[in-house]
Amino acid sequence: MESVSNNIQEIETVENHYDLLKSKPVSIDVKNVTISFDTPKGIYCAVKNVSLQIKKGEIVSIIGHSGCGKSTLMNTISGMVKPTDGEVLANGKVVKGPGPDRGIVFQNYSLLPWLSVYVNIYEAVDSVLKDKTKAEKVEITENALKMVNLWVHKDKLPGQLSGGMKQRTAIARAFAINPSILLLDEPFGALDALTKGTMHIELLKLWNLDNRNKTIVMVTHDIDEAIFLSDRVVVMNNGPEATIKEIVDIPLHRVRNKKEIVKDPLYAQTHDKLMNLLFDKFDINDMDH
Amino acid sequence: MPIVHNTLKYTWIKIAPFIYFIGSIFVLILLWSFFSWKTNGDIPGPSAGLLAVQELFIDMSPFYSDPEDPNTQGILIMMWGSLLRVFMGFLLGSLVAIPIGFLMGSSPLWMNILNPIVQTLRPVSPLAWFPLGMIALKSASGATIFMIFITSLWPTLINTALGVSSLPTDHKNVAKAFGFSTYKYLTKIMIPYALPYIITGLRLSIGVAWMVIVAGEMLSGGQGIGFFVWDSYNGGALEKVIMAIFLIGIAGLILDKFFNYLQKKYSFV
Repeated sequence: MESVSNNIQEIETVENHYDLLKSKPVSIDVKNVTISFDTPKGIYCAVKNVSLQIKKGEIVSIIGHSGCGKSTLMNTISGMVKPTDGEVLANGKVVKGPGPDRGIVFQNYSLLPWLSVYVNIYEAVDSVLKDKTKAEKVEITENALKMVNLWVHKDKLPGQLSGGMKQRTAIARAFAINPSILLLDEPFGALDALTKGTMHIELLKLWNLDNRNKTIVMVTHDIDEAIFLSDRVVVMNNGPEATIKEIVDIPLHRVRNKKEIVKDPLYAQTHDKLMNLLFDKFDINDMDH
Repeated sequence: MPIVHNTLKYTWIKIAPFIYFIGSIFVLILLWSFFSWKTNGDIPGPSAGLLAVQELFIDMSPFYSDPEDPNTQGILIMMWGSLLRVFMGFLLGSLVAIPIGFLMGSSPLWMNILNPIVQTLRPVSPLAWFPLGMIALKSASGATIFMIFITSLWPTLINTALGVSSLPTDHKNVAKAFGFSTYKYLTKIMIPYALPYIITGLRLSIGVAWMVIVAGEMLSGGQGIGFFVWDSYNGGALEKVIMAIFLIGIAGLILDKFFNYLQKKYSFV
């Protein structure tokens, strides 16, 4: 742990992670993606003509109002939703469905309530890492649980856990299969502000331990969360036919400190910019027009 | 002082269920006596009931069984016969209903094809199936089991289908995201999720089956607790009928408690 974090500090002094990304290969390539749904009222076009390139090891947040198609867009990367038009490449391969190279953390954790924390993770590991021996799979599950400090709770059912613990289980499950891409769909949306803050640090810690090699795409509607975690924030227009309104760079240095970062003028600037992109009403005087 | 108060309260919590039980027996006897008095003793009162207990449990062993004469059997042996027929029919019914429920719940095609049939046959009194059972199986016992089989189908089938079809997208997404095999999907997601629904169906099924067996055996004759009720009525021994009603009720209660226990055991939070 010590050596890892020292290592990162050293990298940081040489070059900012944000700048390093420029030389990294493309991890996710969203090419002209349009997503439409057949509804009883006709065809509904959720996302129109969206293109986005994400580098290996980059953390990108997709932000927008409810129903703007941000989850839908991310689901095309995970392979849960097939684009009507265009295609998505993950690690150079066209996405045709969910795959072991992409780990997903769902909004409502999606743990199976009749399985213990341990078995929830083990079943995912068992399913994805078919070639490993039983002993290896057990070890992977153990490590994943220890990594998020849930080893003592391994035999509990999800119903016996707090929201934060459930989310840690879901994150441990996604990390356990060691995907190169991690997709988080409003992962901290249901958590209280204090737990949320801790979870941000935990997520970054896990990402650091993995030498910042995992690409993370996260859907959120929390501006502070997006700035604190991301290298870039993708702001979406409101649907239907949602498009990317703007991509905002967050070149803040890492390791980021929750307390210090808010004092950074760049933070305030970025926050302001995102606010302006997302809202057009800021106080009661704006309500009249 | 508060300690004394707490002790009293504690004692009350301990003995309350027993007191309530005595109370409910008392109310029952009161109601029973009232109806007996209202009908001028045409319906035998609680004292006649006690005589029936003596007749059925002491004068003749409740476990008496004579293979030569099936009409003369102990009351518990008769009831055991009924229970066996219920279990047979219930087991066969469940074995058919659960897979069909899974089929209907997981495939809209089969739901659309089978649902009208289920909805049409479900409201039919199971007794209506008795003649068909008689013709097909050529035995009164077989026909009764067949009737119970039909009875047990519907609640289990409908509840299983409901459980399977209401599987939340979240759970399905887990299977998709982590590429679960069909076997893993069935054993780790589908069946555990549907199990509480299936058990609810089984509980309803066995409840109805136990009600229907009495009517069925009145119809088929010569066997079981239903026949005993009808036979006692024809012999003018109404106190035996009342005793049988209590016994049927207690057996039904035990069956229901058992499935209630299963339901609790296999429900998840």
